[in-house]
Amino acid sequence: MSGLYLEDYTVGRVFETEPVKLDADEIIWFAERHDPQIFHTDPERAKDSAFGEHVASGFQTVAIATGQFIRTGAVDGTGLGGPGMDAIRWTAPVRPCETLQTRVEVTKARATRSDPGRGVVTLAFAVTTESGPVLTFEATIFVRGRAGEQA
Amino acid sequence: MTARYWEDYTVGEVFETEPVTVSQAEIIAFAEKYDPQVFHTDPEAAKDSFYGGLIASGHQTIGLAFAQFVRLGLFAENALGGPGMDAIRWTAPVRPGDTLHTMAEVVELRASRSRPTRGIIRVRLATRVGDQDVSSFITTTFLARRPAEDAA
Repeated sequence: MSGLYLEDYTVGRVFETEPVKLDADEIIWFAERHDPQIFHTDPERAKDSAFGEHVASGFQTVAIATGQFIRTGAVDGTGLGGPGMDAIRWTAPVRPCETLQTRVEVTKARATRSDPGRGVVTLAFAVTTESGPVLTFEATIFVRGRAGEQA
Repeated sequence: MTARYWEDYTVGEVFETEPVTVSQAEIIAFAEKYDPQVFHTDPEAAKDSFYGGLIASGHQTIGLAFAQFVRLGLFAENALGGPGMDAIRWTAPVRPGDTLHTMAEVVELRASRSRPTRGIIRVRLATRVGDQDVSSFITTTFLARRPAEDAA
């Protein structure tokens, strides 16, 4: 997919992304740097933790979800970064060797008042694994508008 | 610092974490896996992007901030996972060599209705580079309450 402009982000449009299979090494690599809690960093000690098993950091599952959206190509050359995310909810743990499937839906899209060449798009992310739903959140991105291209 | 139970926190309490410097190699390694956009992965191509140079993924910035908080040792074995995170805001780019300073403030403490052995803590993590605010977010975590035998 080539990069999409604001006008292409119609409310209700859905992006299905490529599934990603996690493994224990990847969970540990991420957690040692960004979430060093034993249930993420140490598969053995994780057995005695609140989770009773090794689980992925929620920061990692969020980053995987947005990464897979980026890999659809939707923002290639048209994405202008993002100001934030909201309402992140981790509803079930993700274990090594589970496959994450991310679905993204456009919930809002509007031009910015100050700059007609730039729009603000809100995306609802929903992530599931073989075990069921694991994560939902909302991300806001800035994208180019066609108005800006013509100017 | 030693691990704390839920009862040991007060709303408004602030913790300063150790500063952490992010290198260009780390920015690229992270972004290739989790945020493959040229302004995060390619220092040359990034010069022509609207950021004018390589910047860190926002996911990396918030992860580094959270890691520094975890490394204070306050949560340790008393943290029982978290249901969510709110109000993530990236307000300025982070560039190679920048040093992140993160302050953590307790913004809410709530008992769990369904599970008397745990409470809920919400912590706001705000990160700066020099005087510039770069990111902030609020994490929600389940924390063990002090066991009854310790309360006496």
